[in-house]
Amino acid sequence: MRFRVRHISTLTYAAPVSRARFNLRLKPRPGTGQRMESESLTIAPKPSSSEEQSGPYWVTKTQIGFEAPIKKLQVTSEFVIDQAAIAPVEAGPSLERVRSEALDDTDLSDLAPAPYSFASRIATMSDEITAWATPLLAPGGDSVAAISALMRAIHTQFTYAPGKTNSRTPPQDAFTARHGVCQDFAHVMIMGLRAAGIPAAYVSGYLLTRPPPGKPKLVGADAMHAWVAAWCGRELGWIGFDPTNACLAGEDHIAIAMGRDYADVSPIDGTFIGNAPQSMASAVDVERLA
Amino acid sequence: MNNQGDTPAFSAGEVDLFGSAPQADPLAYYAPPAPHGDLYAQASPAIRKAWRDLAHGFSNQCQGDLSALQAYLDRHVEDLGLAFRVTGDEQERPWPLGPMPILIAAQEWENVTRGLIQRAELLERVIADLYGAQTLVRDGHLPAAVVSGSRDFARQMVGITPQGGRFMHTYAVDLARGPDGEWRVLSDRVRFPVGIGYAIQNRQALARATGGLLASVGARSHSGFFDALRRGIAGPCLRDDPRVALLTPGRFSQSYPEQAILARQLGFSLVEGRDLTVRDGRLFARTIAGLKRIDALWRWITTRDLDPLNFDARSRIGVPGLIAAAKQNLVLTNWPGAGVVESRAMPAFLPRLAKSMLGESLALPNAATWWCGGASERDFVLANLENLVVSSAFRRPVVGLVDGHTRAGASLSPQERETLERGMAMRPMDYTAQEIVNLSTTPALSGGHFEARGFTLRAFLARDENGEWSVLQGGFGRVSQSGELRTTLMGLGDISKDVCIIEPKRPPVPPAVLTPSLREIRREQGLLPSQAADNLFWLGRYSERAQHTARIVRVLVDQLAMSGADPAISTTVTRLGKLLANLGAIARPGKDTRLLDMAAQALDNPSASGSVRALIIREQRIAQILRDRLSRDSWRAVQRPMPTFTSGEADTIARACDQVIERHATLSWLMSDGMSRGPEWRFLNMGMSAERASMILQAAQAIIPGSASADDLSALLDLVDCQSLYRSRYLTMPYIARVYDMVLLEPAQPRGLAFQIGKMEKHLSAIPALRTDGMPEAPFHAVRQFRAKLEGADAGEIGTMTLEEWRKDLAKLCEAISERYFLQGKRANDVRTQRLF
Repeated sequence: MRFRVRHISTLTYAAPVSRARFNLRLKPRPGTGQRMESESLTIAPKPSSSEEQSGPYWVTKTQIGFEAPIKKLQVTSEFVIDQAAIAPVEAGPSLERVRSEALDDTDLSDLAPAPYSFASRIATMSDEITAWATPLLAPGGDSVAAISALMRAIHTQFTYAPGKTNSRTPPQDAFTARHGVCQDFAHVMIMGLRAAGIPAAYVSGYLLTRPPPGKPKLVGADAMHAWVAAWCGRELGWIGFDPTNACLAGEDHIAIAMGRDYADVSPIDGTFIGNAPQSMASAVDVERLA
Repeated sequence: MNNQGDTPAFSAGEVDLFGSAPQADPLAYYAPPAPHGDLYAQASPAIRKAWRDLAHGFSNQCQGDLSALQAYLDRHVEDLGLAFRVTGDEQERPWPLGPMPILIAAQEWENVTRGLIQRAELLERVIADLYGAQTLVRDGHLPAAVVSGSRDFARQMVGITPQGGRFMHTYAVDLARGPDGEWRVLSDRVRFPVGIGYAIQNRQALARATGGLLASVGARSHSGFFDALRRGIAGPCLRDDPRVALLTPGRFSQSYPEQAILARQLGFSLVEGRDLTVRDGRLFARTIAGLKRIDALWRWITTRDLDPLNFDARSRIGVPGLIAAAKQNLVLTNWPGAGVVESRAMPAFLPRLAKSMLGESLALPNAATWWCGGASERDFVLANLENLVVSSAFRRPVVGLVDGHTRAGASLSPQERETLERGMAMRPMDYTAQEIVNLSTTPALSGGHFEARGFTLRAFLARDENGEWSVLQGGFGRVSQSGELRTTLMGLGDISKDVCIIEPKRPPVPPAVLTPSLREIRREQGLLPSQAADNLFWLGRYSERAQHTARIVRVLVDQLAMSGADPAISTTVTRLGKLLANLGAIARPGKDTRLLDMAAQALDNPSASGSVRALIIREQRIAQILRDRLSRDSWRAVQRPMPTFTSGEADTIARACDQVIERHATLSWLMSDGMSRGPEWRFLNMGMSAERASMILQAAQAIIPGSASADDLSALLDLVDCQSLYRSRYLTMPYIARVYDMVLLEPAQPRGLAFQIGKMEKHLSAIPALRTDGMPEAPFHAVRQFRAKLEGADAGEIGTMTLEEWRKDLAKLCEAISERYFLQGKRANDVRTQRLF
């Protein structure tokens, strides 16, 4: 299936800021089954320096800098991607096996389980989430079934409430209030999985904005979306779970990056000198091509 | 009481030089409960003699009363400005140093030294592999989770090689000595050698307190080590005579005092993240003379906070783009991410890694460690939990160990054990266990006699420019009455100790001088970061403001005695009250505010930002940031607390004011006497002059709005401290034009306004210029204009408008200084912000 994605991010400052430098994580880093047909990243105004690098997680990072003060930054990411259909997964190895295979794995690369097995900046350890999630991941169970149960628990127990949380809300707060958006749900699920020793990652990407006739529009389609990748043993590897829509990540989930949590894949962050208030607007359009 | 008979180490042939009286041999009655594992009881005769000579020397020094020794040493500790901070403390605590050092035979230390160097070499190779080929993980020598579990593993750094090729330049190791004399490594410190500055200072304090005593018993000196460290960091730099800086997280860091000590000792600039900027892959310091290139950076900031652009975007103490500079030629040490080998899981693998990587076994074993991520290790740990201590492998909070604290297996209740086992079943990789290490004891002075205490020791290593490791001949010793000796550098109730490596046959050497060896003699000061210049300027201002406010209070209290009648209706009192209120020292006084209440408020109200107490606190805070730039004596003078007084008692209030004024006089004398006439001194003095000028103008404005009485004018003369000069010159009561001329216009009168502005002009003309077009810089231009105005003014024509205009001129001048020197063209309210979207 082929998709065209167009994502415009506009950052405005009330007053010019100087020596601005940003990390852009908007260019997809294609994974298995993904093939880029064309891609472009347009930055206005033109930065004085720009460097692209991969990593340190499954991310393509473009680091840009401006010598002259700026008041506005507009980044347009456009790409056409071809995604292979994902075979449905019915069953997986036991949770114990996933744990011990993760520990036995002799790989440190950005797709290995080890980097995603520990608490991270945003997805920290939380006693409450541990206590809530681990009974669902009791030893003996099938991993895919147990992880799906955790995903459904989030979907049924949490309210999807845009505007009640923002990108800086700690997942613990969203958990306590039992509401949030895709980012919060993904973090809570990652924290629950890691508490049980299951490697879990944060995936950022897009959903189809206009679904084909007869199919419902998925929640989170008008902005960037986030879901969870759980490592389900050596054979199955990473499997995408979308707690916002209570479904496995299918071919309509267009992943662009994977990290330990949002901080590793956040589309734009950076530093500048100045104290001007800033605002960010974002417009996403995803269409399916013939 | 005498246990000599049953201790085999006391040979019968030994001659007791001091007899058995306790004052002659204070160690005669020392009775360790386990003599076999005591440093003194089982030492060779020669080393035991060193112990006793030392104890005897101490005893002589305090006329046989050993209980007086601690207080005596404490004074030296205070003199050195030694202090530490426990996490969460705002104020620093005095440093507890025990008088009796830990004595270790040179021969025994040689063995430890060999083991330490071998371990440093091994860790260097492990780090190089993890940030290079990663064969250790791929070939199964090191589990991937042991690496990725460490918060110090910096994936960003994989594939980057440090300038000079070394990942570690400094290294610290916590050691324990077992009852059988065997040394063991408790933990490795690769990020920062915390404690190294305290080790220097413990030795200095002890050496000062005891004269040549340490050298006379054959204690090896520290000399050479710090020079090697300095050469090691400077060595890989590309430029000759490189500029080296120590990057501190700031004064709230727990080890800030020692960072300041180290910077001063080694001749490095102490800088914070905001002093630095990266341009085109090069690191620069913002200084008063523009951007200056930095060649090497000794970072005391965790990797996570080091570079907000490449690590944690929320860091406000780092330097954006620092990693880009490290990829070029910046020497950055220890290398970001080197701390990955610090985890508690790593020692479990080091014995095997030593064999596979060095082909040797560890010369200095670590305490036996099991990482529970391995199934058989986990089973072993659970089966032997009673005899082990359990820790969080990566110092993170984990289930069953509250806040990640280490627990002895035997101390766990059944419920706690059940929780721990549940956590370990889910996340075995988060746990390690270690054997319980028994400590040998050392004689420690407690009151007037010696007691046996368990001890640990932190040893320090540094590389020289050829990459060779050297070990400090000494270390940071720690004894504790009870409890955990392993977790932090200093816990509450712990006592630090100097560690002396004893070589009795060695001829006594003069005490070492710890000056770094400079390649050339310099007369020019090192670079002065803009921020330090800013702080010096404000140190001068706050110090002067505190003094002036005290002077106003003093004059106010004097009104009681002078007017005799009801002081509440005197215009002078009203005007002084208004001045204090303008300065933020008191709330605006009402009609029936009592004079003495006003005075007490202005002195002591901590919630009024302009009270003397509040000003002294601000002054002390700034001094803390400038610690590496102040002489020890100035530091002590600044730290002197606010004097006390009794509310409502005029004489005690007056005395407190006098003490504040004297404190300030001492301080400004110490600073003008001891500081080199470089930019540091100039900025401090400009701050003082600017504040004095501002105070004079404000006092003149408050006291003389149109109609000044003779009392008012007299008060103004007192405030500016010109009373006696005026009287000797005019021999009459004060007249307004004469007072104005003396206080505002006379250029030779050191307390007057014109003199302050003239001084500022001299300082500004001597500070390095950035402009290359020959035009005067803005601050210099402003100060000249101001001085010209004062020169042209006529004392008879000065009115309220003139005073207001001059006040604005002064504010403009200060703003020009700030823009040009402190913020590199940025306005004062502009700060760098990092945002995570």
